Amino acid sequence: MKAPKGVVIAIALLVVILVISVVTWSLRVQLYSTRAPFSAFLILLILLVAGYVFMEQARLGRSFPVRKIPAFDAIEEAIARSVEMGRPVHTTFGFGSISSSMAPQYVAGLGVLAHVARLCGKYGAKLIATLGVPEVIATTEEIVREGYYSAGRPELFDPAYNVRYLTDQQFAYASAVQATIVRENVGANIVVGPFYAESLIFMEAGNMVGAFQIAGTARETQIPFFVLVADYSFIGEEIFAAGALASGDKETLASIRAQDIGKFISIILIVLGVIMLLGGFKLVDSLNWVWKFG
Amino acid sequence: MSLVVRKYVPQIIISAIIVATVAFYYLYISKEVAGAFSTADKALSDWAVIITSFALIVGGIDILRFHVLRIKREGLAQAPFSTVTIALLITMVVFGVIGWYYSYADPKAGITITTQPQFRWLYTNVYAPSDAAVYSILVFYIASASYRAFRVRNPMALLLLITAVIIMFGNTTIGGLIWPGFLSLRDWIMTVPNTAAFRPITIGAGLGTIVLGLRLLTWREVSWMGRRE
Repeated sequence: MKAPKGVVIAIALLVVILVISVVTWSLRVQLYSTRAPFSAFLILLILLVAGYVFMEQARLGRSFPVRKIPAFDAIEEAIARSVEMGRPVHTTFGFGSISSSMAPQYVAGLGVLAHVARLCGKYGAKLIATLGVPEVIATTEEIVREGYYSAGRPELFDPAYNVRYLTDQQFAYASAVQATIVRENVGANIVVGPFYAESLIFMEAGNMVGAFQIAGTARETQIPFFVLVADYSFIGEEIFAAGALASGDKETLASIRAQDIGKFISIILIVLGVIMLLGGFKLVDSLNWVWKFG
Repeated sequence: MSLVVRKYVPQIIISAIIVATVAFYYLYISKEVAGAFSTADKALSDWAVIITSFALIVGGIDILRFHVLRIKREGLAQAPFSTVTIALLITMVVFGVIGWYYSYADPKAGITITTQPQFRWLYTNVYAPSDAAVYSILVFYIASASYRAFRVRNPMALLLLITAVIIMFGNTTIGGLIWPGFLSLRDWIMTVPNTAAFRPITIGAGLGTIVLGLRLLTWREVSWMGRRE
């Protein structure tokens, strides 16, 4: 089978970078920053190229099996249940600076919001999206609007009701979300994004009103709260996969395969590291090597 | 034009920023270029702060719109809460503006937005205690969530209960009095199994972020833009 042009270019680019790296290293030329180990850059490149190759293969018709995420499948059930009970659906996607390392989780949260908004449009559910970051007000309004309009239910879109910016102060936000969940008597509470200490406050408020709860975050310290209290939870990386699942696009879904490659590399390095440690050699020292000459 | 502005311009900006950020972080060409990269990197962070500041104004207007409409639609039932919110929002803005005015009109007085006396009083005596009160509610929520979680329904729940009991005894003085081994057992659980469980989640989140970055770079992740044309 002839490889597609994009795949050839991506692999060729990777090979060129590797050759340049080897040549500059042998010439003792400073090519990379000392801020990060070279191994990190190499793994990043491998994952990007692998992801791109999988996406190209999907474009040409190859299908990749993607494991089901129960929390993602439960979103439709939660919304349908809320409609049956005549209660609104609440969603929020996190707190914290959007210009920090939490930004990818916001993007993942917005992906889930798009899916929730489309389903709310499909079933005619009232959606309340509460926000703790002002930068995403316009985006959220646009996503919710798109959800209702694409389902042919523009009459259900009311920005003043659907999208509520509360505050950028953590516990004022927690308090306001809690009040919204209880006063509006929501039927489903879907919280996906970066969360801090407020996560359990949201979950307990949802539990108080008997809401169907789906939660997810990649912040490992908050995952136990979500796993304990929510009906379904996205654990860590699953929130990033949720956006791809929501798109339903084969090429986007194929990119998830690159995560598996990354896990495979991680497992090999862990096993290798343990074996080498038994022989008195610390693999981590080699992996932490930074490109520094002179 | 609309399609270009709505779809292509944001995607081009995102792709350019991803490439630039990776380049700033990993590449070194020369001292001068590294300096320029560092300046551009800082400029990007400054832009984010500026955008956030303007977004806060939009947020303030959004809060006003929501509460005014709420009073109109729901009448007396919601009026007290919304009135208090609007009144406090305006009060803080007014005192903040007074502080800002004095910081320019009389710099020697040392008054700024956050040090304006009334602004500071309201922050220290109204906001801070309310904030602490909401935070402190968390302890009751942890207790109620733990109560539900620790009911032994299956072997895994039993394991969770045993671990929780060890950690609780390890964290309290009475635990050490009952059996001093609780302290070292707690440390072992926190350092070994707990860390072993956390690390894969952290690695997985990192891998997920890289792949999300790839989807953004290749214009496959479009849900964040809302409208699809």
